[in-house]
Amino acid sequence: MRFLVLIIALMLSSCGKEPLVQTKSYVFGTLVDISIYGEAEDKAHEVTSHLLQDFQRLHHQYHAWQSDSELSKLNQTFAAGKTPVDVSPELLQMLKQAQTLSTQSQGLFNPAIGGLIGTWGFQRDEFTPVAINDAVIQKLVQANPKMSDIVIKNDKVYSTNKAVKLDLGGYAKGYALDMALAELQKQGVKNALVNIGGNIIALGQHGEKPWRVGIQHPRQPKPMATLDLLSGWAIGTSGDYQRYFERDGKRYCHIIDPRDGYPAQGKQAVTVLLPPSLHAGVLSDVASKPIFLTTPDQQANAARAMGVAQFLVVDAEGSVTISKALNAQIHWLAKPAKITVQ
Amino acid sequence: MASTSKWTKPLIGDVLVILFSLVFVGYLFTILWHSEQATKLQIRLGDKIYATYSLAQNRSIDIQGPIGITRIVIANGKARFAHSPCPNKYCVHQGWLSHQGQAAICLPNQVSLELLGGEKPFDSLNY
Repeated sequence: MRFLVLIIALMLSSCGKEPLVQTKSYVFGTLVDISIYGEAEDKAHEVTSHLLQDFQRLHHQYHAWQSDSELSKLNQTFAAGKTPVDVSPELLQMLKQAQTLSTQSQGLFNPAIGGLIGTWGFQRDEFTPVAINDAVIQKLVQANPKMSDIVIKNDKVYSTNKAVKLDLGGYAKGYALDMALAELQKQGVKNALVNIGGNIIALGQHGEKPWRVGIQHPRQPKPMATLDLLSGWAIGTSGDYQRYFERDGKRYCHIIDPRDGYPAQGKQAVTVLLPPSLHAGVLSDVASKPIFLTTPDQQANAARAMGVAQFLVVDAEGSVTISKALNAQIHWLAKPAKITVQ
Repeated sequence: MASTSKWTKPLIGDVLVILFSLVFVGYLFTILWHSEQATKLQIRLGDKIYATYSLAQNRSIDIQGPIGITRIVIANGKARFAHSPCPNKYCVHQGWLSHQGQAAICLPNQVSLELLGGEKPFDSLNY
């Protein structure tokens, strides 16, 4: 009889509601999707709201085009001359990290080109087509703003180049993911999945199974593949399909090549998968950009330079190049006609 | 054959088999009945669930968002953005959603659609 009770108890527990609390909100001008598994509902909501407040703070403090943000004020002092100014310890760390990553990417990850990003109309909540002014673009490229123009001395900051205008749009969401992971662990949460505008970091797993993420198809309203995101891993995609405008039948996406000042062409999407580290989130945001901006024959080198072993590139024709390591983990839902394993 | 059939007291094994069968049928019922449910459309406005509709109907829904009215249409088991006040209309260009797990988002008007029902193939979407 005890055996019977056990069976019924097992059956009943499998019918029970999963302890999953999922919240979706809008921060950083995009969707934020937080899932917490296996915690009491009250605690899950409390931790979620804490994370969202942190994200809101980051969003306002490092906003690239609201003139009262800490970042905008720093940009104003850069434009005014070489007076060293104080910045928050957090921004100081961010600048140092962004400088290192920019060097690592040979300048292809360049958050100093806020001027160019603004000219292309991507420093707005809406991406309507803009008039393309080649003269302005050329001038901005020739001014050559780069992260190494920023000098950090005795915790004060100045720029040797007035054209440096920081836009952390390709960094801050990743930073927020690393921060979220640390905060979740501090709060004692064992299992969570945080998605900020498509960049995702995992903690623990979803019940008996790892967290599973879908990878958006760049041209169809459905995922093209799924993969298991193990604890501490992060995934990020740079695509030409979320933030772009079309003009005269041509697509201009938000990924600007700092070398010629024009939006990157030739690829639909680059996805990178990062193993656990203190900076997995930042790397998931940053590392896809240099790969996106590199010619197909140099993609693998660009990935290696960023410490990325797992990547996937969808080119303009929809053909896929995937690294061997990622190919072993991916499950295709809409298998592309052509896949090259590299 | 001279049967001496006689009602005997059921053995513990019989009870177990009968009970187990009942529980098993109940278990199958909850699983199968669940997946036979009509596929649903969940609409979110901002960070709240606006409404969840069955896809087994033909109707249109007007939603007042921050920048205007978005029209969602449900027809023949599918759903789509029909009209949107946003400038680029990416949401409208997404077209019909028909499969479980598909989603379309209109960031400017903060309206998102997600098709529900059955087992979700993933926990979150990377884009």
